[in-house]
Amino acid sequence: MNLSRSSSSDLILDVDQVWKVYCRNLKRAMWYGLKDVGREMIGGGRDRNHHNLRAGEFFAVRDASFQIRRGECLAMIGPNGAGKSTMLKMINGLIKPDSGLIQISGKIGALIELGTGFNPILSGRENIYINAAVLGMPKREVDGLMETIVEFAELGHVINDPIKTYSSGMRVRLGFSIAANLRPELLLMDEVLAVGDVGFRMKCFAHLNELVKQGVSIVLVTHAVGMLQRVATRSVVFGEGKIVHDGDLETGCTIYEEMLGASDRVRAKQKEESGRDGEIGSVEVCNEAMEPQAEFETGETVRLRIQINARAKIKDARLIVALCSPVHGVLNSVSTPYQGIQFDVDPPGRVITLEFPKIPFLIGAYHFNISLFGPEKVDFYHRSSLRGVFRIVGPSTDANGYGINGITKLQHSWKIDG
Amino acid sequence: MEAEFEKSKNPEEDERPIEVARRAPEVSEDVNSGAADSFSHPPRDVIIYSAQSSIRNPVQLIRDIFTDFWLGRGLAWRLFLRNIRGLYRQTLLGLFWAFLPPIANTAIWIFLRQANVFSMGDTQVDGTVYILTGMILWQAFIDAFQMPLAMLNKNRNMISKLNFPREALLLVGIGEVVFDLLIRLLLLIPAFLIFQVPVHTSILFAPIAILGLVLLGAALGLLLMPIGSLYQDVGRFISMVLPFWMIITPIIYVPLTSFPGSLLNWVNPASPLLLLARDWLLLGTTSHFTTGLIFGAAAIPMLLIALVVYRISIPVLIERMTA
Repeated sequence: MNLSRSSSSDLILDVDQVWKVYCRNLKRAMWYGLKDVGREMIGGGRDRNHHNLRAGEFFAVRDASFQIRRGECLAMIGPNGAGKSTMLKMINGLIKPDSGLIQISGKIGALIELGTGFNPILSGRENIYINAAVLGMPKREVDGLMETIVEFAELGHVINDPIKTYSSGMRVRLGFSIAANLRPELLLMDEVLAVGDVGFRMKCFAHLNELVKQGVSIVLVTHAVGMLQRVATRSVVFGEGKIVHDGDLETGCTIYEEMLGASDRVRAKQKEESGRDGEIGSVEVCNEAMEPQAEFETGETVRLRIQINARAKIKDARLIVALCSPVHGVLNSVSTPYQGIQFDVDPPGRVITLEFPKIPFLIGAYHFNISLFGPEKVDFYHRSSLRGVFRIVGPSTDANGYGINGITKLQHSWKIDG
Repeated sequence: MEAEFEKSKNPEEDERPIEVARRAPEVSEDVNSGAADSFSHPPRDVIIYSAQSSIRNPVQLIRDIFTDFWLGRGLAWRLFLRNIRGLYRQTLLGLFWAFLPPIANTAIWIFLRQANVFSMGDTQVDGTVYILTGMILWQAFIDAFQMPLAMLNKNRNMISKLNFPREALLLVGIGEVVFDLLIRLLLLIPAFLIFQVPVHTSILFAPIAILGLVLLGAALGLLLMPIGSLYQDVGRFISMVLPFWMIITPIIYVPLTSFPGSLLNWVNPASPLLLLARDWLLLGTTSHFTTGLIFGAAAIPMLLIALVVYRISIPVLIERMTA
């Protein structure tokens, strides 16, 4: 059964050309707020997607459109301040769009923050009733689900104790259990999977997968891209309020990782100084045939062509190259002395090529940090970050336990005893 | 920037037919295949969020407000119980805290009167009962007046993160005001006995006037809530004027009948219904029926407008809470 591509009656959420304006200046924001209330009281809408931004205002979300069908799990990813949470708040009806339309046909269960509304003095059981009521479920329905909720949260032994005696992990478990067991048709989750211990997190993923199978749609907002593959089938990537990608998860994650890198690159450039005797010049990622290439498959050969520029002779130069991921940091670092490579650089410079045969990394974005030294530790010439960006785009990984997953492909073998 | 705006759209588009609305109720049979515990949801209306002001369709807006009051009743009851339980679970004196303010206030004024600092006029019943009753009613009015902003501030976290019928918070607020009021009214029983106040049949009408007083206070508070939430100056101003407001309300003295003092009974919204309620509670006869009726009648449309303001302002306020 293909849930994601069926008739239009399967549409759960339709976000259509939505804009949202925010104001960072506190005094102005208050004054605008008052004016907005006043304007709405006399029937004036907001509709401000065009040139009429007021002083100090900016677009938190610009012209965003996407749809979600039944049984789809969508990941909203993007850097901080890209508009993801704002979008989620609008979908949840907490704030209004300034232009555009959001249509939802189904019961929303939101987990914008776990355990909101817990009262520390009351028992876990009493708090379940309150939380369920907040999410719109009457008491008699909660009674029917009480055991499921308590059991899922693994809190049977303390459910009658005051919440304030719970650990933070226990609260998270309770909060997730309530929201996930209240049978929403559209589940909104903002950064809630990043908490809790690994065991419970796995249980959550399994539960979410089960929900998706039963036709529940899920919107996840998270920075923990690595975990998304466990549940999400599609991604919408936000960048500066705009949707820059709507489609498969892998491409989305890669674009997001590159965006993270891009912002670092700007910072690195600002730090760069001039006037040194030797520096890293152009850096190119190539394939086996030394043709420039940016996308590879796991197991292919990646070559890095590094141009070193020199104004004066560099005797016994050392080159250190770190292969990095924007998400995981340095994955590996190699140097010329390690393999006994000795070389000098005469003006104007020379080219060094570094080869990684059968690159073991899995889907994601990668880059290099390259440092140039002389023979001694103090002979530092230049460090250049975020160079030679490339992507591993295939083959696809599988987080559900039927393939491989993670960042590298390790040689391995299984042996079944008996 | 220009290019991004090119994709402008016709506002008329907002009115186009909504295809999602035709969602068929086939949810359960479709997903039932194999799943042991599948969901079956009844077909539901489509929720639409747009930039349009909901006041353009006032009938629907009012209907929505009352629907949400109804839908929010369960939540309101839970929250009410939570607050009441939470309130008294961690206090030593418990309910005594509800009694304390009117008793303390009354005691001070009685002491001052005994010292002849001021004269009350002819109260027709014992001065202590007179002041105590006035204090209890005044407290209820002021509690109701301050309730909307207090509820908003107390539940900031919940409001800004969860979507639930906002009206539930008002039910909780009114519930708490009335709960406190009822507890304090219990003070009148010993007071009536000790000071031998005769009970009149008019006492049966008093709840109407008291309810009007509470609702009027709540309506005024609701109207001030948006600006009070955005600017803390409002809260400061209110706490500054409250003592003066109490003084110009005839609580510790009989209402002034001669001009210009009598004007106060007309400009002070707290006065008429408070006087009416007190007369009905203590005296059996009243000369404030007309003014009370006018203010009580005015409270109803005012409350409706205030509810609309509340509903419209909440999303705007949430934006500012999190920004």
